[in-house]
Amino acid sequence: MSPAAQHTPSQQLSRELAAAGSTSGTRNSANVQRRPSAARKRTRPGRVLYLAVNIAVLTFLLAPIAIVVVFALNPTPFIQFPPVGVSLRWFHKFFAARDFMHALGFSLEVAALTTSCATLLGGCAALAIARGNPPGARVVLAIMLSPLMLPAILTGLALFQTYVLLDVGRPLWGLVAGHTLVTIPYVVRTTLAVLHNFDLRLEEAARNLGASPSRTFFEVTLPLVKPGVLAGAIFAFIVSFDQFPVSLFLVSPGNETLPITLFNYLKFDLDGTIGAASVVSILLALLVVIALDRTVGLRAYVKL
Amino acid sequence: MSTAAARTNGLALFLLPSVLLFALFFFVPIGLMAVMSLLTGNPVVAPHVGFTARHYLRIINDPYYLEVIWTTIRIGLWTTLVSLLIGYPLAHWMARIRSRAGHAALLMAVLAPMLTGIVVRTFAWMALLSDTGVINQTLISLGLVIRPVQLMYNETGIVIGLVHIYVPFMVLTLTGVIGRIDERLEQAAENLGASPLRSFLEVTLPLSLPGILAGSLLVFALSISAYVTPILLGGFQVMTLPILIYQQISANFNIGFAAALGMVLLLVSLILIVAYNRVLGLVSGQHDLQ
Repeated sequence: MSPAAQHTPSQQLSRELAAAGSTSGTRNSANVQRRPSAARKRTRPGRVLYLAVNIAVLTFLLAPIAIVVVFALNPTPFIQFPPVGVSLRWFHKFFAARDFMHALGFSLEVAALTTSCATLLGGCAALAIARGNPPGARVVLAIMLSPLMLPAILTGLALFQTYVLLDVGRPLWGLVAGHTLVTIPYVVRTTLAVLHNFDLRLEEAARNLGASPSRTFFEVTLPLVKPGVLAGAIFAFIVSFDQFPVSLFLVSPGNETLPITLFNYLKFDLDGTIGAASVVSILLALLVVIALDRTVGLRAYVKL
Repeated sequence: MSTAAARTNGLALFLLPSVLLFALFFFVPIGLMAVMSLLTGNPVVAPHVGFTARHYLRIINDPYYLEVIWTTIRIGLWTTLVSLLIGYPLAHWMARIRSRAGHAALLMAVLAPMLTGIVVRTFAWMALLSDTGVINQTLISLGLVIRPVQLMYNETGIVIGLVHIYVPFMVLTLTGVIGRIDERLEQAAENLGASPLRSFLEVTLPLSLPGILAGSLLVFALSISAYVTPILLGGFQVMTLPILIYQQISANFNIGFAAALGMVLLLVSLILIVAYNRVLGLVSGQHDLQ
């Protein structure tokens, strides 16, 4: 986790600031010093319980993911536990199956198109909201973030009905439009977060030194906003790749995304192929988390 | 912020493409859905179409549909409750952990499931909960039970699966709020003689109530609109609103009735979203725009 080291200074600083704030009197700091050791003595059983509960919750969160990997590697043709061995036969089957491969390719295509649209539109929108002072910015922002909470299945249903009424069939652009709607909030949020933590004096300095507004934008604002946009783009990609409810209504038979194909397969079969497919998408998600951490750091995302 | 808060400028125009997208692919479709829910038929195929309230009357008058709505809400409530109970300790730990590496590891553990697809996670729970799944096989081999315990194809299975999917949202919402509580308040309580448990119950817990409320609203809103998990872990035995909506489209092609059901779900969700934003706005005072 070397990238985490990048965040050390700022966090260290904030902690020191907090400490400095509390040490206005020396007695205060003495109390802070004394308290943990005294508390530790008294509360050991409570502390143990606290940690035990948390570890149980973590196990609940992570064990299912581990189980998927176990089943992907277990060679028996049905779900069996404990596993009897290790094989890659399900991975062979997954990568040899034409419908899975077609779905994987289609999902990547849709996710790539969605990411481009969502990043461009969402990045511009965030910039406009933070810097352009558009009328009704609050309402616009609330609307743009609403797909995060609004049931995506309704977005899918509404778009489906519209396409039926317009008699346009189930085109690729229709699917990408639906995915873009549900991924834009991520880009807007991460970009806005960076824009708000932005030191405006940097732009002012550039202006004062004689740079034109456009030059200031391209040489100061844009490079500094890049991590936020990038993080948003990565989120948009993974959300689109995993997107289910919108796709459910908008894919056409024979041209399905991977989650839909997996779902249809799961309705009837529960074998290791799904496990292998799952491992492939988990690895993709893992790559994304690492990429996120490298670009902006995980903390930046959660602080939103 | 003060320098930027002057007047609307040219950059505001960059908002237009997104506004256009939301207008064309969000508001128009939702509006059409509202209209369709009030029409007697599909105006594209049927020549004589009039307005009617029969789709809504059907929902209200048929106990079956009311039962479906109640099942959806019940599953949502259980999911919210369990998510809160298991999410709070983890959120608290995350907000209070001292070591940076520890915090990063916890965050990774919470985000990793979130970034794994819903279908994949539901598959994982099917592998865990089915009759030949991990839990039942383990119980049988330990001699604790003779026949497999039915853990899925019922509401219990659905709630377990949904909790796993939505507990990260609860944890992230709660962590934000707990992290804003000044730790010195707890220390003060303990210095004044309160036990850690009492200082938690009387200081931390009340101060984190807005987070509890916001997280609960979020998880409830998300879980009543879930489709994959209820259908797979419910084994087509349990009917919820989203499942019913899709069934109206795929099996009956009854667009009007699906639209009416959609409007019911939309209404409930909108109420929850407004409440969620209110609560978070109150707690941070700087939510959204600031």
